[in-house]
Amino acid sequence: MATGSTSTNISELKKIKLTSSEGTEFVVDKDVGEKSILLKNMLEDVGENDMAIPLPNVTGPILTKVIEYCTHHRDDFFISQDDDNKKTSDDIDEWDSEFCKVDQGTLFELILAANYLDIKPLLDLTCKTVANMIKGKSPEEIRKTFNIANDFTPEEEIQVKRENEWCEER
Amino acid sequence: MASNLTTLPPPNDLEATWSFLESGIDQIMNRLEQGLSYKRYMDLYTGIYNYCTSSRMNPGFASEPLAGPGSNINNNRGANLMGSDLYARLISYLERHLTQIRAESEQYMDENLLRYYTKQWEKYTTASSYVHHVFRYLNRHWVKREIDEGRKTVYDVYTLTLVSWRDNMFSSVQHNVMDAVKMLIQRQRNGETVETGLIKLVVESFVSLGLDDADSSKSTLDVYRDHFEKPFVEATQNYYKTESEKFVSENSVTEYMKKAEARLIEEEGRVQAYLHPSTYKNLITTCETVLVKDHTDIMWEEFQHLLNMDKLEDLHRMYLLLSRIPDGLNPLRERFEEHVRKAGHSSIEKIAAEDALLEVHKKYNDMVQNAFRGEAGFVASLDKACREFVNRNEVCKSSTSKSPELLARFCDSLLRKSAKNPEEGDLEDVLNSIMTVFKYVEDKDVFQKFYSKMLAKRLVNGTSASEDAESSMISKLKEACGFEYTSKLQRMFTDMGLSKDLNDNFRDRDNEQSHVDFSVLVLGTASWPLQPSTTNFIIPEEVEKTFQRFKMFYQNKHSGRKLNWLFHLSKGELKTNYLKASKAGYTFQVSTYQMGILLQYNKDTSYTFEYLSQSTDLTPDVLIGQLGTLVKAKVLLMEGDNVGDTGSRYTLNMDFKSKKVRVLLNVPVKSEQKVEVEETHKTVEEDRKLLMQAAIVRIMKTRKTLKHVTLVQEVISQLSNRFKPKVPDIKKCIDVLLEKEYIERVDGQKDMFSYVA
Repeated sequence: MATGSTSTNISELKKIKLTSSEGTEFVVDKDVGEKSILLKNMLEDVGENDMAIPLPNVTGPILTKVIEYCTHHRDDFFISQDDDNKKTSDDIDEWDSEFCKVDQGTLFELILAANYLDIKPLLDLTCKTVANMIKGKSPEEIRKTFNIANDFTPEEEIQVKRENEWCEER
Repeated sequence: MASNLTTLPPPNDLEATWSFLESGIDQIMNRLEQGLSYKRYMDLYTGIYNYCTSSRMNPGFASEPLAGPGSNINNNRGANLMGSDLYARLISYLERHLTQIRAESEQYMDENLLRYYTKQWEKYTTASSYVHHVFRYLNRHWVKREIDEGRKTVYDVYTLTLVSWRDNMFSSVQHNVMDAVKMLIQRQRNGETVETGLIKLVVESFVSLGLDDADSSKSTLDVYRDHFEKPFVEATQNYYKTESEKFVSENSVTEYMKKAEARLIEEEGRVQAYLHPSTYKNLITTCETVLVKDHTDIMWEEFQHLLNMDKLEDLHRMYLLLSRIPDGLNPLRERFEEHVRKAGHSSIEKIAAEDALLEVHKKYNDMVQNAFRGEAGFVASLDKACREFVNRNEVCKSSTSKSPELLARFCDSLLRKSAKNPEEGDLEDVLNSIMTVFKYVEDKDVFQKFYSKMLAKRLVNGTSASEDAESSMISKLKEACGFEYTSKLQRMFTDMGLSKDLNDNFRDRDNEQSHVDFSVLVLGTASWPLQPSTTNFIIPEEVEKTFQRFKMFYQNKHSGRKLNWLFHLSKGELKTNYLKASKAGYTFQVSTYQMGILLQYNKDTSYTFEYLSQSTDLTPDVLIGQLGTLVKAKVLLMEGDNVGDTGSRYTLNMDFKSKKVRVLLNVPVKSEQKVEVEETHKTVEEDRKLLMQAAIVRIMKTRKTLKHVTLVQEVISQLSNRFKPKVPDIKKCIDVLLEKEYIERVDGQKDMFSYVA
């Protein structure tokens, strides 16, 4: 290992311990953990020690998935500002779309975890995946996809359709 | 670790959630030094998260519609976000917390207050950034939504803590804090060592509190400017007003300038050390006003004194101080100009004009460059003063054209062969300084006239010291005034070269053996300022043949050219073989006229004035002059009272003796010189009229019609690099041109001229 890059390597090698809601302990590299802004801020504020960080709102299987995502993207340079001009759901790369091929329950739990842990790219990815599930479907199909009961009265339904005419074109 | 979950309050319970949070926030705010565990931190975050998401945190959410109940669809807010309660309670917590800090602050004053304030500030802001992070979920959702919707009174949590500090703490203590700050700075100004770190922190705190009410993500310097900078600058003003007035009354002006300079440097350093950079301009301008502007009168007064004493260092200091304030230098420039002018005039009275000009210019040019940093205004003043005393001084009271004449004579003395000729390197320096003075000369045409006259003399008489020096001077003049100015001078050198070739050529062709050595200069009338001869002259027969041969030779070569012989400028050498004193014989260096007279004595040894007058055909006054020199040198012996008297006789002196083998008889006649100078000035006047007329015609041709005033101005500006035309002269020229019908008056319009094509 070249001496020139020692300092970065040491920080990469630093480990942190995370505990899922069931009490399972996960050891991850610090830079992977810091993809979560929540963990990053806390490590900065409190400083580092050997204690495990409890994540009472994330289950073990979901935490496993989150760690998988963060590890894959550890070297990405996230642009933190949300770019309003680039709101599209068509820019998902192959690995990410493969990553999101999970059952609906897991997908929604990932959304919640990404929101809780404050990992914006993961939150965007999972929300885009859900958006893609809706795209091109009729209201009836959407209801079917997400198991939603139709609680509109017929009048309400007509009104909603009229209001949303502008998006019917595509 | 199931116990983790049990410590968290139930998500839906505001009271439980808040009391859980409050104890945590209190720990962060007051006992952060005891540390915060990961668990506690995560619990606080999770508590807020749980509360904010509680409306949706139902078991089996997967089956729950994500977009909320259908009845919400018309509500623009979309999802209902929780958080306003937590936010409101945080506000009131901060209020309570800060009230306590403020209450405690009341027991402190002065430096202790600063210490307390800065310590609390640091502690509070550190804690606030923790709280900000713990409340990140609230920031990201509820606060963001409120701000997006334009609610001005909602800030992210960190900004909220600053707003709260400003409203609950800062507003009531800032006066005392500022008093303490001013006191501390005053003590530092008095020379004490103080803890400047305290002030730096206060500055930082005031700057941080500048929150833009319109956009809380931006900051302004309003708070700092109103509550720190303003009182601070006021205190500074008072301090230096008192100090400078006292100092001035007790010390000399030069001492005061040192003091003021040091104080200004000190204040500049103060800004860098612990103030906000934006204060620089305001503070320094104020100091400049109090320390410099309010004392300009005494400095202006002192200036003359410093000039008289040549105190360069103090002058430089004064320049630096006064250059800081607007218009501070103007009086200096005026006085400087006046001073240089006086110095110029008085030194001219003492020593030779050219040297005086050069010396004064050098001295004050150095002063401008060193003490005044070559500032443009002073350069202009120097130029103005120099122009003034170069053109209008004691030596040339009568007219402005005396200076250029003197300057041209000075050049001549340098360039003519003489024992005093400077070394080549030095010569170049002197020529350069001549050019410096030349720059100030207004009547450059007069200089040109005299210069070309003297150059012509040097060339014709072969008395030029160095060809290199001559051409160096001409290229300098060319650089200063353009090609046209020197074209005639250059043509003169060309003619000299051509004549040399011509002579060689003639000698090669001239196969007839001649006992006369003969050379001739053929010079273009247009470029040479040579006067035609005023007298007739019969060429002595001894040289007549050679003379005729050359004439033929030249006509063959250039048919149609007319040769005017300038015998008065020619010279010759005669060898004697009638004198016993020298066996080898003397060589007389004579003018052509003298040659004409002396050669008569080959036939006889004594003639009357009338005979000589007839045989040479010289006018009486020329003949008298020439005879006079010969009589004076005792080559001829006169019988009669005065040279030129009727019946006076001139006999060849057979006993002539001389120590030298070569005898110079060709000395200029005094009266000739005087006439020449006047002639030159007269021709300058004539030339000027032509130049002015030409300029008027040129201008009118392009402008077609023009007002009188504008026309005069244009003429002056066009000719300014030659000479300074006088307005009455221009008017005269306009009249001449009106008469000649080059231009005419425009009917019905006063003072309006138009060009006649």
